[in-house]
Amino acid sequence: MDKYKVLIGLEMHCEISETNTKVFSGAANTFNDTPNANIRPVDMGFPGTLPVVNKEAVRKALMASIALNCSQPEYLYFERKNYYYPDLPKGFQITQETKPAPIGIYGELTYECNDELKTVRINNIHLEEDAASTDHHTVYSTIDYNRAGVPLLELVTYPDFHSADEAVSFLEAMRSIYRYAAISEADSRKGQIRCDVNVSIMDAALDETDENNWGTKVEIKNVNSFSGVRDAINYEIERQIELKETNKYDEMEQQTRRWDEASMSTIYMRSKVDAIDYKYFVEPNIPKFKIDPNWIEEIKKDIPMFALQRKEMYVRDYNLSSYDATVLVKEKAVSDYFEETIKLGANPKSSANWLTSVILGHLNKYDLDIKDIFLTPQMLVDLMKLIESGKISSKQGKEVLYKVLDDKKEPAIIVKELGLEQIGDEDTIRPIVISIIDEHLDLIEEYRKGRNVFDFFVGQVMKQTRGKANPSLTAKIIKEEIEKR
Amino acid sequence: MEYMSKTIEEIHEALKNGEVTVKELIEESLKKSHELQDKCNAFVTIMDEAKEVEVTDNLLSGIPYGVKDNYSTKGILTTGSSNTLKDYVPFFNATAIENLDKAGAVKVNKTVMDEFGMGGTGTTGHTGIVLNPWDTTRICAGSSSGSAAAVAAGVYPYALGTDTGDSIRKPAAYCGIVGYKPTYGMISRYGVFPFASSLDHCGVLARTVKDAAIVVDNMKGIDKNDMTSWDSSNINLYESIENNPKGKKLCYVKELCDISNYPNADSELKAHLENFHKTIEKCKELGMEVEEVSVDRTLLNASYSVYVVIHSAEASSNMSNLTGIIFGPRGEGKNYIDMMKDHRTNGFSPLIKRRFVIGSYVLQKENKERYFNNAQRARRLLVDTWKKLFETYDAVISPVGIGPAKKLEDLNKVYDTNTIALDEQLQIGNFGGFPSITIPNGFVNELPVGINITGNCYDDVNVLSIAYSLESNMEYKNQIAKEVYRG
Amino acid sequence: MKKFTQEMVVSYADKLLIGLKEDEVEMVLSEFEAIDKEIDLINEIPNIESVEPMTHCLDDFEYVLREDIVEESVDIDELLQNCDSKLDREVKVPKVVE
Repeated sequence: MDKYKVLIGLEMHCEISETNTKVFSGAANTFNDTPNANIRPVDMGFPGTLPVVNKEAVRKALMASIALNCSQPEYLYFERKNYYYPDLPKGFQITQETKPAPIGIYGELTYECNDELKTVRINNIHLEEDAASTDHHTVYSTIDYNRAGVPLLELVTYPDFHSADEAVSFLEAMRSIYRYAAISEADSRKGQIRCDVNVSIMDAALDETDENNWGTKVEIKNVNSFSGVRDAINYEIERQIELKETNKYDEMEQQTRRWDEASMSTIYMRSKVDAIDYKYFVEPNIPKFKIDPNWIEEIKKDIPMFALQRKEMYVRDYNLSSYDATVLVKEKAVSDYFEETIKLGANPKSSANWLTSVILGHLNKYDLDIKDIFLTPQMLVDLMKLIESGKISSKQGKEVLYKVLDDKKEPAIIVKELGLEQIGDEDTIRPIVISIIDEHLDLIEEYRKGRNVFDFFVGQVMKQTRGKANPSLTAKIIKEEIEKR
Repeated sequence: MEYMSKTIEEIHEALKNGEVTVKELIEESLKKSHELQDKCNAFVTIMDEAKEVEVTDNLLSGIPYGVKDNYSTKGILTTGSSNTLKDYVPFFNATAIENLDKAGAVKVNKTVMDEFGMGGTGTTGHTGIVLNPWDTTRICAGSSSGSAAAVAAGVYPYALGTDTGDSIRKPAAYCGIVGYKPTYGMISRYGVFPFASSLDHCGVLARTVKDAAIVVDNMKGIDKNDMTSWDSSNINLYESIENNPKGKKLCYVKELCDISNYPNADSELKAHLENFHKTIEKCKELGMEVEEVSVDRTLLNASYSVYVVIHSAEASSNMSNLTGIIFGPRGEGKNYIDMMKDHRTNGFSPLIKRRFVIGSYVLQKENKERYFNNAQRARRLLVDTWKKLFETYDAVISPVGIGPAKKLEDLNKVYDTNTIALDEQLQIGNFGGFPSITIPNGFVNELPVGINITGNCYDDVNVLSIAYSLESNMEYKNQIAKEVYRG
Repeated sequence: MKKFTQEMVVSYADKLLIGLKEDEVEMVLSEFEAIDKEIDLINEIPNIESVEPMTHCLDDFEYVLREDIVEESVDIDELLQNCDSKLDREVKVPKVVE
């Protein structure tokens, strides 16, 4: 295995799901079970219809471009990619090419793979429209154009990944970025993410920075899940190594294959020689649009800190474990919640504990979103203060927290309802202690002989107060009162 | 009493006075439509069911007009004169139609065109050849052939056209009427079947400059459905065209207009150019300055190829939606590719198919730089050359074509290649999106010929007022075709 | 060597999903030859490669992008009224195989 080095590049398509409308039409950009129910005339390519660019889709695409540290063009252009397919009503897709420059070009992204930081270079990211979806039946297919025109971001990396792990970690990082920036749900189960993967191998001894040393590129089309990406890459690496080992590698032509989920293998589609010429040209119906640098600055302000940077901050500034930090930043809403509790004065470590040990478990159990629960960051902070100030024990705190989540009532009310509030003032506890000691003067004698009587006295106080007396305060008073005798 | 041969203002006046009703106007226009159909084959659809509307203060209200068959008309067959859309009924109106509906204009027919606007002869439409009402052995030119024939024959005062190379302005000249294409984007293209999007203009064929101004005032306006449209609400052509053009500076291009460029010129071309220079004298009499300018001949000669390369490329892509899958007759075949191919092979006329192949070739990766990109570069050089002229001159004036309408039988005749640049020069107006108007300026061989006035972008008022003044001082205003065929 | 051959014309036409008759192929070839000559002239224009290709009709043009507001979907009957083969709310085609 170490004889070879693997070079992997990705093309990741992700629908922008968080706009109201499609990229070139005012039809709704929502998933609709009813076929052909999100349609404006241009979405089905009716003669004379024209594309009209959605500002919000451009804004979100610029966000992605900025997040990937790409350069943004001075002017926005779109191009036509011409080919025939039943799911492409106009006979061309409106997309962007590298010349004129697309929405983002030449960037890089640092991501984490198995606790190590890696960097991948981004060739470009561009904004385009999705195609319709086709349902296949026994002898015919039916076409639903709801998806036609949904905004799509395609990003193209350089072949900087060396393993399936790296490629998948990058995809996970991108999914997180798309979600953090509210660009897309990035849900591959909804078909929002689709990938093309290219894989080649080369002799490990050779210098990979020299393109001449690269092996023959094999492109694998339409891999639609992250696990599929992993499996397809690993299968393809094995296949290519096998070719090397049997001296057949040099005969292999540059080609396109597809990932077949059923057989868990890649299947030959066509040779590079047969590649379609898409006859790109600039879309004349969309005038070139000057991207105002002030707009870019505004958009930059709207981009949140991403998961990786948050995680680093939590470990560095809040002393959280890498594990806890990873758990907290997985979802932006959870991470935002956590940060809000800190703003409200919570101790980061205990806030993190409550979140990871109780709240996230609750969310998982009931399949809830953190935005859906009754417990606000303020309530969590209030609860933590009740515990810190000794009004309730941390064990009771847990009980209260579950009640807050279930009964949807504020912590203070729950504490009252459960009668949990601790007796924490000396003036209440001291008379009780005195009267108990008075009743058990014999034990003072025993104490002087060296017997431990504290637990008994504490137990008696708790019995009388039904467990509400603050234990440490009670212990302190008992000690003082015994000493006085 | 006939009204359809009058001007818009006159008809409006008659409607207002109660001299005539909308119903009577529609009847007259429909009757003439059927008569012209028998003679010239100008229409795809005659709307015998056309409904009356209320007469308002809008000059167009209640007045019949014709629509080129590439403007989508809701509920009315719209074919682009192509078999690929021979039964297509749009469910929405083109924005320009919507605007005219609001004005109260009454459409009475859909006019034949060269298929999807490609071709300048009026011979490629799926319903057959359109003949010239002045002489039915001759063509109208195209692609707005039916519209030109109908307006010239007095079916109504105006009809809509589109212009990608000279498709309004050439047929207007051949039919002795006015053809006006305003600045690109002044009229929305939404709902108009595209030919070559970066060159396509909407416009009008009419019999007077003022009528053309009235119609475009009612068609134009920024449209949320067309990103290339712009706000022209500060422009009122009708109210501005009587501006006195005295002191305006015009120029004409020596390499196009001088007879010495054409050693093999036939008598028609000679007469046409002589007539052009008479009109130049007329301009001077009206107080305009006219100068001869010189333009790089290589660029001029390349113009037609630039046009063919760009429009073929754009058209091949624009018409990729014509597959018979969602609309249009479904082709036969076992799979979708065979179905699409059957639809397209049988649906398109040979000219379009040939241009598609050229368009496809010039866009191929290995050819794009040499052909398509360089054509776009030469386009810019030509546009810059004209813009440079507009720094000094208010407008460029030129003869339209190389004479009167050509005979059908001469269509395949090989013309002197020296004359191509002259014959095709109006395309420069499309390259730059310039406002451009053709008006009749006399006769050659008893057949009408025209001149063209083209100005800088957004300068439509200037162009129209020059044309209006010239028209008012020549005797070809509002002329109706008189059949001169001497069979 | 000829730049444009009969085989090429046929292959381009095929990719455009159109069939051409033999005489049509010949016509394309002669039309193309004329254009090619003119393009030669364009290529001889000094510094032509430094000119920015004119991709739009008006390039001094400023416009605003569309606000992200939903417009009502077109009625399904209208969408499919010109379609020769449909099934319920969808367009029907012979089975599409990759």
